[in-house]
Amino acid sequence: MKGLTVFIADLRKCRSHEDEEKRVNKELANIRTKFKEPSINGYNRKKYVCKLLYMSLLGYDVNFGHREAVELVDSTKYSEKQVGYLAVSLLMDDESEYLRSVVRALRRDIHDGSEWIVCLALNAISNIGSREMAEVLTSDIVVQLLSPAASMFIKKKAALCLLRLLRRFPESVKAHQWVGRIAPYLGHRDIGVTQSVASLMTALAQQYPEETRKAASFAMRRLKSLVIDNEYTLDYVYYKVPAPWLQIKLLRLLQYYPAPESSEARATLLSILRHIIDLSQDVPRELQQMNAQYSILFEAINLGIHLDIDQGLMQECAVLLGRFITSRETNVRYLGLETMAHLAAYIDRLDSIKAYQGVIVQSLRDRDISVRRRALDLLYSMCDVGSAKAIVSELLRHMAMADVALREEMALKVAILTEKFATEYGWYVDVMMRLVSLAGDHMGDEVWHRIVQVILGNEELQVYACKISLQTLKAPVCHESAFKVSAYVLGEFGHLIANAADSAPIDQLKALQSKMTSTSQSARAVALTTVGKFINLFPEIKTLCLRVLDRYRGALDAELQQRACEYYALGTLEGEELLPTVFEEMPPFPERQSALMSRLLKREADTEDQRTWVYGGREMNRERRGVTSGAASNDSREAVAESSAMPVPATGLNDASPGSPAASKKGAQEALPVEPPTDPSVAKSMRNYARLLWENDGILFDGEEIQVGIVAQYKPPSGRLGVFLGNRATAPLYNISITARAADGSQLTIQPAAGQEAEQPETLMPLAQARMFFDIQCQQVFTAAPTLHIGYTVAGCAPTVSELQLPVTVGHFMDPVTISVADFFARWKQLGDSGIAESQHVLPSAFLTKDAAGLEWLRSVIGGMGFALIHGADPEPNNIVGVGIATTQAGRFGCLVRVEPKPTHGLTRVTIRATNVEVAQSIGGNVKMVFESR
Amino acid sequence: MIRFIFVQNRQGKTRLEKWFGSYSDQEKQKLKAEVHRTVASRDQKHQSNFVEFHNNRIVYRRYAGLFFCFCIDTNDNELAYLEAIHLFVEVLDAYHGNVCELDLVFNFYLVYAVLDEMILAGEIQETSRSVILSRLEHLNNLE
Repeated sequence: MKGLTVFIADLRKCRSHEDEEKRVNKELANIRTKFKEPSINGYNRKKYVCKLLYMSLLGYDVNFGHREAVELVDSTKYSEKQVGYLAVSLLMDDESEYLRSVVRALRRDIHDGSEWIVCLALNAISNIGSREMAEVLTSDIVVQLLSPAASMFIKKKAALCLLRLLRRFPESVKAHQWVGRIAPYLGHRDIGVTQSVASLMTALAQQYPEETRKAASFAMRRLKSLVIDNEYTLDYVYYKVPAPWLQIKLLRLLQYYPAPESSEARATLLSILRHIIDLSQDVPRELQQMNAQYSILFEAINLGIHLDIDQGLMQECAVLLGRFITSRETNVRYLGLETMAHLAAYIDRLDSIKAYQGVIVQSLRDRDISVRRRALDLLYSMCDVGSAKAIVSELLRHMAMADVALREEMALKVAILTEKFATEYGWYVDVMMRLVSLAGDHMGDEVWHRIVQVILGNEELQVYACKISLQTLKAPVCHESAFKVSAYVLGEFGHLIANAADSAPIDQLKALQSKMTSTSQSARAVALTTVGKFINLFPEIKTLCLRVLDRYRGALDAELQQRACEYYALGTLEGEELLPTVFEEMPPFPERQSALMSRLLKREADTEDQRTWVYGGREMNRERRGVTSGAASNDSREAVAESSAMPVPATGLNDASPGSPAASKKGAQEALPVEPPTDPSVAKSMRNYARLLWENDGILFDGEEIQVGIVAQYKPPSGRLGVFLGNRATAPLYNISITARAADGSQLTIQPAAGQEAEQPETLMPLAQARMFFDIQCQQVFTAAPTLHIGYTVAGCAPTVSELQLPVTVGHFMDPVTISVADFFARWKQLGDSGIAESQHVLPSAFLTKDAAGLEWLRSVIGGMGFALIHGADPEPNNIVGVGIATTQAGRFGCLVRVEPKPTHGLTRVTIRATNVEVAQSIGGNVKMVFESR
Repeated sequence: MIRFIFVQNRQGKTRLEKWFGSYSDQEKQKLKAEVHRTVASRDQKHQSNFVEFHNNRIVYRRYAGLFFCFCIDTNDNELAYLEAIHLFVEVLDAYHGNVCELDLVFNFYLVYAVLDEMILAGEIQETSRSVILSRLEHLNNLE
C-alpha cells in the first residue's frame, strides 16, 4: 500500500508536533470525504482504514471508520478481511454498536470453507473476546477444536480462543459441557496443538479438578515422550532443547494435581524430573540454550517441590539452588532465590536452606533491585522461630539503606514475622518501635494499627509497651507513626505505669505535649483523644488536660476542632457517668486476619492462573493447601486466602457480632451435643454435625453463650483438628478448658498438638475467640466418635461443661482413588460376592423431586466424603459411583460406593462395599445421617 | 498469562503495543510511559531481565535500540517468556530480512499478523520457527 507508506513517511518528516497534527487533520478530512464516495473500492478502503489505525496508534482520537472496518470484514479478499478484523480489535470497545455485525460476520467466517478465513475469525475472537461472542460462538469454537477435519492451525487457535472466553466469561462458555473431551488432545502428535491445549487445560484444571483428572496422566505421558523417549520433530527443537515451552507448560499443569497414587506413575514422574536435572549438570555456552534449559529445570524443581514424594531429590535441589544463588548470571541468581522460596514453603527441614542464610542476606545488597526483592521474599519464607531474631535484625539493618520502592514491603514483612515468631513480649515491642521509626514514612497505616491491635490483645505486653511509649515520647526525635502508637498506648494503659519513677500522669501528659506541636494533623488528632482519655484515667490532672483541649477548640482543622470541643465538653460535664463510659478501655481486638497479611496476599493473588504456593514458609502453605483441597467454590477460596496468618474458621465467629449478617447466616447451622446442654433443638444440631461429615470446616455447636467451630485436615492415618471457641455472651467466660477424649476402647488417639496446652487462655472476653489444635492418629478401625469437652464459668454461675460429639469417623481417614470403569465393576462384584462387608440403605430423599440441584448436592456429598467419583461408569446417568481408601495405622481398606437416586419415587439407594465391615457400616451410617438431616 | 507486549525505542516511543486484557486509553498511555521509565533506566550489564511492575512482572530484552517487553504474572516462568521474546525477534528478523525499527513502523499491521501466529489470548501458541515462517509466507501469498 504505497499511499500508507507515503503517509507514514510524511508524518515522520514533521519537525514539530503542530506540523504532525496539521498533517493528521488534513488526512482525516480527506478520509472522511473518501468514505462518503459510493464508488470507493476495497483496496482504497483498506488503505484508509490502515491510515486511521496508524493515527490511532500515535494517540490521535479516531472516532469514525468503524462502519468501513465492518465492511472490510465482509470482504471476500483475505488481506481486506485481515485489516478489517485488525481494525475492529484495535478501534472498537466492548460497547460498540458495530460489534453485533462483527459477531454475525464471525459466525459466518468460523465455518468458512477456507481454512485461513476460519483462522482469521478465531484470531479476532481471541483478540476481542466480548461477552456476546462467548455466548453465541462458544459451541462453534468447540466444534472446530474437536473436529477431526480441522487443521492444526484451527485447533491451536480454537483452544486459545476458548481459554480467552473462559477466563473472561466463565459463566457464558458452559465449560462443564465440553471439559471432559479436551484432555486427550494433550497427546496430540502436533506440538503446537498440544502447547495451546495445555494452556487451556491449565485453566480448566483449576476450575474442574475432578472432571479433568485424566489430564494429569496425559500430561505425564506426553512429557515422558519428550524428555525420555525423545519423540519430537526437529522443527520444535530450540537451540538443541526439544520444545522447551511445551515441557514447561506440562510441568506446570501437573502442579495443579496431587501426586499420583500409583507407584508406577510416581516412578515415571521422578524419572522425568531426574532426567531434567541430570541434563542441566553441564552448562551450555550459548545463552539461548542455557536459558531454555534452565527454564525447564526451574519448572521441574517447582513440580518436584509440589509432588513432595522424594525428600532426597529435594535436598539435591536445595544444593543445586544453593549453587545458583551465587551464580555470576544475574538472571540465574534471581530465579535461584525465587525457587528456593518455593522450596522453603514445603521442605520438611529448613537446614539445607539455612546453610545459605549468609549468601541470601548478602543478596539484599545485590546490584539489581529485582534480585534484592527475591532475597527479601526468600528470607521471609525461610524464617522460623529459630532464625526469626537473626533475620528480623538483618532486615532492620538493611531497612535504612533499602530502596524506597522496597522499604514498604520490607516493613510489612518484618511486622508479620515479628508478630508470628515473637517469643518474648519485649522483643516484639522493641522491634516494632524501631520499625516504625525507621520506615514510618514508607508504610501504610496498617502497620501502626496492627501494633496497637496486638498490644490491646495481649495483657502481658501492656506495661512494657507503656514504658517504651513514654521513652519514645521523651526521646529527642520521635517518628510520627511511633508517636501515634505511643499516644494511643498511653491513653489506654498509661495508668499501669503511673506509679513508676518519672512516669506520673503529669510526666506522661508533658511528654505527649512536647511532641504534639511538631507532628501532623492526624497525629495530633490521636493525641487529643489520648488527652481526653487522660481526663478519665487521671482525675488529678484534669485541669491541665482541659487546658490543652481548650487550646485546640479554635484549631483551624475541622477534625482537631471537633475532637477538642467534644472532649472538652465531656470533661466539663456535671454528671460523672458519661466520661468513664465514653473512654472505657478498648476491648481486645478480635483475632481476625491481619490487614498486613491480606495486603501481601492480595498482591500475590493477582495472577490469571492461581498460585500453587505463596511466599511465607511451610506452615502458611500447609494451611493454605489443607483447606483448598476440599474447597472449590470462590467463596471458600477467599476464606482460605484470609486464613493464612492465624487459622480462623470460616464461621464468622471473629468478624461479626451476634446478629450481624455473617453471624446469622453461618449461625443457622447447629451442632449435636451428646446430651444437649443448652440447645434443645436436636434436629438443627444434627444438621450441623452431618454437614461436618462431608465438609472439613464449619460450625459444630452454636449456643447462647458459646459457639464452637471446627477446621479439620486429614492426612490419613493422621489428622489435625482445630477447635475454635467463641464467646457469644456479653460477659467474659472464665476457667476455659478445651479437651478431647477418644471413646473408651476405640483405637484412636486424640491429643493436643505440641505447645497447644500452654496457649489456652484462662479468660475469654465477649466476642473473642480461643483456639486449640488436636492431633489425631487412627490406629485401627473404630466405631465410636471421640468427644469434645468444653468447660467454662460465667460470673456468678456454676461451672458449665458441654460435651459434644466430634465429627471424626473412620470415613474421615479416606482418600479418593481413581480406577478404571472396568476395575470398578470387577471389584464391586468381588466384594459383593463375599457378601459380608456391605452396608445398604434405602433413604427417603424428597429433595430430589423438588430440586434439580439435589443431584449436584449428592455428588458433592459423596465427593466430600473422600470418594473419587467415576464418571460414566454406571449405565444409569444419575447414579453415582466412587472409590476411596480408608487408611489406619494397622491397614488400608478399599471402599466402593454406589448411589442410585430415584427422583420419581423420592428414594435413594446407597450401597457401600468395603474390605472391612465396620468401615462399610460407619460410612453407610454417615451417608444416612447426611440424608436425614438435609 | 501475558498481560501486554510492548516494543519501545530508547526515547520511549512505542513501536508495537499488544494488549491481552481490556484497558482504557488513559491506562494504556500511563502504562506505556511507566514501562519505559522502569525498563530503560536499568543497567543492562549487571541487572537481570526481570523487573517487578505493579502486581505483575516485566520480562524484557534489548535488541539494538529497541526494548521488547512482556508483562507477565508473578507465577509465570520468566525464562520461558524471555526466550519467547527471542523467538519473536528471530521470526521478525527472518520475515523482514534483518528487521529494523523502521520495518516495525511501516509494516505495523503486518507485525500484528506475525504476533497472531505466535501468541494468542496472552498465551504462547506456536513455537516452531519454521512452522510460523512457512505459515506467514503462505498467508502473504493470499489475495
